[in-house]
Amino acid sequence: MRARTRALVPILLDNLIWVLLFLTVVAFSLLAGRFLTVENLLNILVHSAVLGIMVIGQSFTLVTGNFDLSAESNIGLIAVIGAFLLTASGEPSNGSGLMLNPVLTILVMLGLGFLIGEINGLLITRMKMNNFVVTLSMMIIVRGLAFLVTQGKTVTNLPASFKLLGNGSLGPVPISVIVVLVAFLLASVLTRHTRFGRNLYAVGGNRDAALASGIDPDRRIRQAYLISGALAAFAAWIELGRLGVGATRIGEGMIFEVQAAAVIGGISLFGGRGTMIGALGGVLLLSSINSGLNLMRVSGFAIDMVRGVVILAAMLIDAQKARYKAPAGGIVRSPSGGKA
Amino acid sequence: MKGLRARTKTTKAIPFLLNNMIWFLLVAIVLFFTLTTRNFLTTGNFINILFNASVLGVLVIGQSFTLLTGNFDLSAESTLGLCGLLGIFFITRAGPPLYGSGWMLSPVLSLVIIHAVGLAIGWVNGVLITKMKVNNFVVTLAMLITIRGLTLLVNNGQTAYSVSTAYNWLGLGKAGPIPVPVIVFLLLFILGNIIMARTPFGRELYAIGANRNAALASGVRPESRIIQVYMVSGLLAAFAGWMLSARLTNAMSSMGKGMIFEVFAAAVIGGVSLKGGQGSLIGALGGVLLLTTIGTGLNLMNVSVYWIQAIRGFIILIAMIIEAQKVRYSTPAAVGAARSGVRPSS
Amino acid sequence: MSDAVMEREPYLVEMKGITKDFPGVRALSNVDFGLRSGGELRGLVGKNGAGKSTLMNVLTGVYPPDAGEIVIQGKSYARITTTQSRHLGIACVHQHSQLVPPLSIAENVFCGSLPLTRLGLVDWEHVYRETDERLGRLGLQIDVRRKVEGLSVAERQIIEIAKALFADARIIILDEATAPLPKHDVDMLFSFVRRQREGGVAFVYISHYLEEIFEICDNVTVMRDGRNIGDRRVADLTQAELIRLISGVEVERFRRAARQTDSPPVLTIRDLSRPGVYEHLRLDLGKGEIVGLTGLEGCGKDALARGLFGMEEMGEGEVSLFGTPYRAANPREALNRGVAYLPRDRLGFGIIGPRSVKENITLPILSRLLNGIGLLGRKKESELVSRLIEQLDIVTPSMAQAAQFLSGGNQQKVVFAKLASVDPKVLLLDEPTQGVDVQAKIEILKIIDRLSRERGVATVVISEEIRELLDICDRILVMFRGAIVAEFHARDPGVTVERILHAVEGAL
Repeated sequence: MRARTRALVPILLDNLIWVLLFLTVVAFSLLAGRFLTVENLLNILVHSAVLGIMVIGQSFTLVTGNFDLSAESNIGLIAVIGAFLLTASGEPSNGSGLMLNPVLTILVMLGLGFLIGEINGLLITRMKMNNFVVTLSMMIIVRGLAFLVTQGKTVTNLPASFKLLGNGSLGPVPISVIVVLVAFLLASVLTRHTRFGRNLYAVGGNRDAALASGIDPDRRIRQAYLISGALAAFAAWIELGRLGVGATRIGEGMIFEVQAAAVIGGISLFGGRGTMIGALGGVLLLSSINSGLNLMRVSGFAIDMVRGVVILAAMLIDAQKARYKAPAGGIVRSPSGGKA
Repeated sequence: MKGLRARTKTTKAIPFLLNNMIWFLLVAIVLFFTLTTRNFLTTGNFINILFNASVLGVLVIGQSFTLLTGNFDLSAESTLGLCGLLGIFFITRAGPPLYGSGWMLSPVLSLVIIHAVGLAIGWVNGVLITKMKVNNFVVTLAMLITIRGLTLLVNNGQTAYSVSTAYNWLGLGKAGPIPVPVIVFLLLFILGNIIMARTPFGRELYAIGANRNAALASGVRPESRIIQVYMVSGLLAAFAGWMLSARLTNAMSSMGKGMIFEVFAAAVIGGVSLKGGQGSLIGALGGVLLLTTIGTGLNLMNVSVYWIQAIRGFIILIAMIIEAQKVRYSTPAAVGAARSGVRPSS
Repeated sequence: MSDAVMEREPYLVEMKGITKDFPGVRALSNVDFGLRSGGELRGLVGKNGAGKSTLMNVLTGVYPPDAGEIVIQGKSYARITTTQSRHLGIACVHQHSQLVPPLSIAENVFCGSLPLTRLGLVDWEHVYRETDERLGRLGLQIDVRRKVEGLSVAERQIIEIAKALFADARIIILDEATAPLPKHDVDMLFSFVRRQREGGVAFVYISHYLEEIFEICDNVTVMRDGRNIGDRRVADLTQAELIRLISGVEVERFRRAARQTDSPPVLTIRDLSRPGVYEHLRLDLGKGEIVGLTGLEGCGKDALARGLFGMEEMGEGEVSLFGTPYRAANPREALNRGVAYLPRDRLGFGIIGPRSVKENITLPILSRLLNGIGLLGRKKESELVSRLIEQLDIVTPSMAQAAQFLSGGNQQKVVFAKLASVDPKVLLLDEPTQGVDVQAKIEILKIIDRLSRERGVATVVISEEIRELLDICDRILVMFRGAIVAEFHARDPGVTVERILHAVEGAL
């Protein structure tokens, strides 16, 4: 009897995020009148866009067993550099005066994202440094650079064409929503159905085994960081459109939510586990809670608290999951004969 | 055979260099600033550096205790914020211009309460991590967010101001030429070091961090100890909150936000391993001094705040790179292997 | 130089004159080692540090040899890379798993070389089908979609061997592969190995378990001090002769002398039951007595020890120590009552690798080493540790040396020293000589004997090496499926390994 319930539990826990999301939506639609409207749901999706892209990036590194704490600073630096390149100098724009072509700017931003990702990757793989420590340092450095570029001022007067991605709509649907959903889809296919993706999981699950199977773990880890960096650039592009300005503090403090959404969605902090679609669920959950509480006119500060509690609950469940998946040590639970 | 002997001589020098790298770095940095600024190598400036280091230092002491057991306490910065705010909140009258609670508790009572709060937060962290077996990164992360939210709730985001000289004494007082925070910080540091290095409690922490199961089988109670170190971290965070809010004579709801990374950086640079079971407070002190010296020195050079941020991060990175090399060279076998380009057989 | 008597088959692989140096030590000295095709099962034995693993590391390309050559399929190589070695059909299975736990069996089998559909995506159909077929051909029935993390250690090892076979390995090296395995999983592994051998695959079996060498190997190569001492047919050797070859000296088995059996009871267990683990256990342990406890894996013998020590549930029943009721909720309580435990997993539960020998030894008794002001007394500590190091003959450059750098045997002695420092009244030893070389084994048995004689320590030795139990114990209890089913007096001439084995297997 116990064995049967034991078999059910992992299945439930694996899809927990969708159960939770469902419950949350139900709860809020009862508690807040306007929650279940198309307008509000679209709103939730829009607010999920930037977070979502960042979570995809973080999930790539998490799956290999590595953190990318610098992501929140990366989006900030790339955003301000992009804005800086695009705008006129002096007040009120505070730009470079280069008035660079938007297309070119996007390319530069992407390039910067790749660069930072590569630096992270190299320090971790070639210099064999701890990933937590490297990306932590980079987080501090990159944010400092952002301040350096803008001298603390906000860059404004971005060209409208550039802001389209974050701001524009295709009929009733915001472009950013389409983009983030497509991104999750692509990421999901990439991680589930390509060699590249499967190799990432192998590296995170057991690096030595991956090595022995002919996979180059270092190369894969560097590639994961490249993706994280590039996606930060992408997220910066959307955020600039959404915000309308290049604020030096873009992304500040975001890293916790990003990690939390990933973990809530099933991506294990230990690597080798979790799916992109699950991570999407995590993003939607956090955004829904945000929206719901806002509609209920709960004070911003209380929302922060609730968010903290939700994260805690999700992590608790994550820990329970780890228990069930612990290897059945052959010593106590031999498959044939002999009681434990 | 001669070649082998020559090798061992130089290879002994390398670990020594690396293990004390933090001090060499510090000397180099001090030298640099002495040459590029005026009045760097004065007692006044030295005390200034210690003054700037004191709040960070107290947090690092607390964090080092938890790090030894292989655990993080990300929530410390939020505890600092909450307790610093509460400290002033309790003793100040309500409404503008001070925005306290109006309860007008005595400073002593207020301090007792906030330290109890710090202990309580630490206890909750510890229990969630040991009894509920939730990942420490995750628990303290959630607590970081939750407690910061609580801090915002307490005074509705409004800054509270302190006009109590008794309260502010910890931040502004002086014993002769030496600021009180400096004395307190050094005392705490010495006390912490003694506890870590010369008491059963400290020894057990190292054992838990290095191999928790073996520690358990040797009669250590890891769960109790871990709860205790989180309480220590919470207590010291509360104390640091008092220190900082006393120095500033006010407490913003965002006080302490973002500090946690520097705390980690200082500890890790100072040799306290993130994996646990390794490091000492002396090294951590070196880390704190290094970061603070750089900040202070750059300030004296009138470097813009933004450059300082970036440079600090850069220095941290360099120190970490060196730290990583340390691990490579830390064992004789590893030394030999590193030289012959091959891993030793286990 | 090799007096091997083997079939006139061509060599699968031949290592000639291999020499390998590390800084300060010559690990391999002009070693010849050859395997012939046709499915040979070759044992490779020797003390810790004899060079067995190093030799195999040269063969798998991990280390380049400093001299000598490797001849495979007629071609001679001065050195080979790991990739080359893999392509040439050489694979190695270690104690430490080379599988990725969160992934499925099938994905593990195809790890690194997943087949693609025409669209460039992973062809999962193919992966599952193919893995199923291949495992079936090897005689295995298992759901290939199962995640590896749900498999037992033995099952994982079998999958790893299967993986190697799929990569067309012709030579599979099993490096201490059975160390973490319970006894009957070893049987499962062996029958699988034997079946593969019929397909012409050669196995090199590195192990300290000499009984297993005799059980499964055709031939055995003995290494000592980096040299190949000789290749022999297993059928031509006795265990004593093999031990002599390994250690190079005439090693006496240690035999504990008979002792007076009337000793005051120290530990009494009556009707102790723990659902699903053991039931109605009854046991008396006298002062200075050494009682052996043996049985199949899962019979409850080690669970009993952990339960008594407070690391697990003890269950319900009457347990008394020196007449007073005894129950330990955690190891601290057990130690305070004078009950000490030596874990079977030395690296996981016994020794704290990164900490010094001194710290390892004094960890349980720190409160006793305080000086006047409540701090640890340096002198007190050093004196105690020096004494123990001397008494137990622990080989270490200094007491500040990190425990992880000691040999297995010396590490075990450090754990003993730690237990001795507590001044225990009862010792529960779980596989005390496991993974320890022959010389150290004898020394440890002597330590156990001495502790019982000089300090009157009542000892329980849990082991599956029955021969060893006969050497060191006064009485031997056999457990089967949670119950004590037989008791033997070790000094009784009628008691043999076979009789005890019978009881162990459940037949009486």
